[in-house]
Amino acid sequence: MRKQEWIFTLALAGLGMMVANFIGFDVAFSQSLPGVLVLLVISAAAAFLSWLIPLKLPTVAYCSILGLLCACPISPISEFVIQSVGQINFTAPLTMVGAFAGMSISNQIKQFVKQGWKMIVISVLVMTGTFFGSLVIAQVMLQLTGTI
Amino acid sequence: MGKKINYAYASLRERLRCEWLIYLLAFVFILIADAIGQIKIPVWKGTFIIFPIFYALFLGLLTGPSILKILDDKKVKAASGLVGVAILPFIAKLGINASANIKIVVSAGPALLLQEFGNLGTIFLAMPIALLLGLKRESIGAAHSINRETNLALMQDMFGASSPEAQGSLSVYIVGGMIGTIYFGFMASMAAAMNVFHPYALGMASGVGAGILMSSAVASLSEVLPAYAEEIAALASASETISGIDGIYIAIFIGIPLCNWLYRKLEPTLGRVTKAGRRAAEELERQAAQERSR
Repeated sequence: MRKQEWIFTLALAGLGMMVANFIGFDVAFSQSLPGVLVLLVISAAAAFLSWLIPLKLPTVAYCSILGLLCACPISPISEFVIQSVGQINFTAPLTMVGAFAGMSISNQIKQFVKQGWKMIVISVLVMTGTFFGSLVIAQVMLQLTGTI
Repeated sequence: MGKKINYAYASLRERLRCEWLIYLLAFVFILIADAIGQIKIPVWKGTFIIFPIFYALFLGLLTGPSILKILDDKKVKAASGLVGVAILPFIAKLGINASANIKIVVSAGPALLLQEFGNLGTIFLAMPIALLLGLKRESIGAAHSINRETNLALMQDMFGASSPEAQGSLSVYIVGGMIGTIYFGFMASMAAAMNVFHPYALGMASGVGAGILMSSAVASLSEVLPAYAEEIAALASASETISGIDGIYIAIFIGIPLCNWLYRKLEPTLGRVTKAGRRAAEELERQAAQERSR
């Protein structure tokens, strides 16, 4: 995507977040705005970095690391970042993601129906196994290291 | 800088002309979904929580070429690109959450790194059942990982797009996309209800390398364990970031070899126990015989 396309689509995502935060949680646009801007600047910087750096890391990895750096104790703006982004409710950015995700798989419904019950059983087991595998190791490790 | 990139659109204006309907629908869906809000249904000891993201997903599904035909295939493809953009601010928020709770993330460091290998748990649970249900090489693609975009691309790259392995991966990818958002959150809240696992461990397990699944799990866990909401989000975000980076290597160097090995061990026994398994094996032999005689 070009620069202006990134800026436009990210601005759209920001607007979607503010609408969701207002409709779902009664947070006024003016109250959401600083947090939304912080998130959009980080996202844009992440997109730029993933284009700039010739590593094959997904953009989301840069995005997460940048968010981490902005809010870490040594960052001069950490207080502002944490406080402003705290105004955005956890699920507010997700409604738009869900809308796009739904549209993006809407041409797979026929294939989904064709998969039949066996594939549904297996998919449920795949998700369950992935989750519980991590869960058991995490629990044991946290106990061994005395974190909990 | 002279990087050559093939752009999907000739200009921003062309993108707008193609995608305006997608944007409009997305905003309508946000209005509807967030106006409904969360619905909580207690099930046994867990809570089945339906979030706005799920209604939006469902409404989005309806618009496609299979049902309402509002969107054509080109727009469906465009929407899939927009998922990658719209998820970024959310991921940034997770990074900030993790940082705001950096002490917990650091103290959980060793557990955080090792639990990545737990993502291989899918293999031991899904592979034997897949064989019992009569799947053959498909089971390798289906069971090797959580099967999101990168894994699907990896299977197609390693085995070829029409290979049974890639087909198995694609099947789980499709089914996971349809039911994953709702199931993953429900499962996480059930795991919390078991009262065996610490909220930190639950948070870490939520990050499996699939943003939308993690969100669903974290949102559900925050509802059932409100006192730990911050820490759960922080650890999930850290785990998700690590999975996003190492997931593909774990699949290449451990997941797929392990699946191949298990398949060789289990297929001759477990794969022939059931009628479906024997029939599939006979079918494969018949095909192989035909190949030889040709």
